[in-house]
Amino acid sequence: MTGRGADGISPADAAVAGGQVTGEVLTGDTLAGAAREAPGEHDASRADTRTKDNRAWFLVLPVVVSVAFTAVIPLMTVVNFSVQDIFSPTDRIFVGLDWFRDVARDPEVRAAFLRTLLFSAQVLLLEIPLGVALAVSMPRRGPWASAALVVVALPLLIPWNVVGTIWQIFARGDIGLGGWAVNTIPGVDFNYTLDSTDAWITVLLMDVWHWTPLVALLAYAGLRSIPDPYFQAAQIDGASGWATFRHIQLPRLRGVLTIAILLRFMDSFMIYTEPFVVTGGGPGNATSFLSILLSKIAVGQFDLGPAGAFSLLYFLIVQIVSYVFFTVLTRTGR
Amino acid sequence: MLEWMVWTPPTAAVFAGLALLLAGMAVWARLSPPVARRGFLRIETDRGDRLYIGLISAAAVLTGWIAVTDLSMWLALACALLVALVIGIWG
Repeated sequence: MTGRGADGISPADAAVAGGQVTGEVLTGDTLAGAAREAPGEHDASRADTRTKDNRAWFLVLPVVVSVAFTAVIPLMTVVNFSVQDIFSPTDRIFVGLDWFRDVARDPEVRAAFLRTLLFSAQVLLLEIPLGVALAVSMPRRGPWASAALVVVALPLLIPWNVVGTIWQIFARGDIGLGGWAVNTIPGVDFNYTLDSTDAWITVLLMDVWHWTPLVALLAYAGLRSIPDPYFQAAQIDGASGWATFRHIQLPRLRGVLTIAILLRFMDSFMIYTEPFVVTGGGPGNATSFLSILLSKIAVGQFDLGPAGAFSLLYFLIVQIVSYVFFTVLTRTGR
Repeated sequence: MLEWMVWTPPTAAVFAGLALLLAGMAVWARLSPPVARRGFLRIETDRGDRLYIGLISAAAVLTGWIAVTDLSMWLALACALLVALVIGIWG
């Protein structure tokens, strides 16, 4: 690239070509942003004369059909459930928006909503910085890079309910290593089956343990894709480690962190299996998140109408938050 | 065949309306391709983006309404449509 750049191609074009060769998503980077505007103007004048053939879109049809079958039709059914009191397919009463009113005003649902929101916020605040820190401190090459990758990825290989079982035993005060150590060494009284704060901390730590590796791996992949010249330039300028991180690594992580934040928000907002296994939503309802409450209504009590209304409100919240995150992280600065 | 889906006339009307809306947007996009611009939402959106944001906002208005007040839901629907319209035109 540098050779061709010297042949009289403008620096912006050279940067674009370089970006295409490395095949990276260059969102949010100032260099890429400046470079992208130049060819955009070229294309705009050319675009109108070209005939467009969009028939390749028909190749998407199988996905559309399968999504319709597995997501859209069930969702429509849930909508139908949510406006009726159903005893059997032939014996049902239309109740209008009563279930929505009941669910939206139920203090238990509202408490679970706030609890889940708090949990997601804490998960993001802990896992994103921790994952980035982990990724930055992992070796970039050599045998230790592979070793670190394997060690970091280990928790991701464990199924949700097994993670729950591990922590259920690990955090116990009598036979669990973690619970016993906390009870004995600092002498703190820690009992997640009795104390609601302890239960919360246990579930939160379990999620951090299970999913920080995902953030770390995503961030690590993002860091690996930064070309070496960036670091060499930083070195020549005498940039400190923090300045290198702040001005080179962090901006280039924007794309992967968008994905990491979205994934971690959605997963933690829908968390079900682990708290179900460890605390079952208790003690009291200290850890009964929206999903646990929902499954209690839908599967436990088999109240399909309220459960349908509940799911739709739940779905709406996930939609809004995900869309806002996505928009803020991808469209600002455009 | 569709008995298990327990359809009701109102929900069927809602889904038919959504399908018509999407089909209409597709035809409209064919006649005059959408142009992205920036409105009071401060982000670059085209017609389809604003429709999505408007529908989601309308749903949020309806949810908020039903959660706090006993006033008629027809009034809520009017407000929700107004919000969707405002976002669609100036968003």
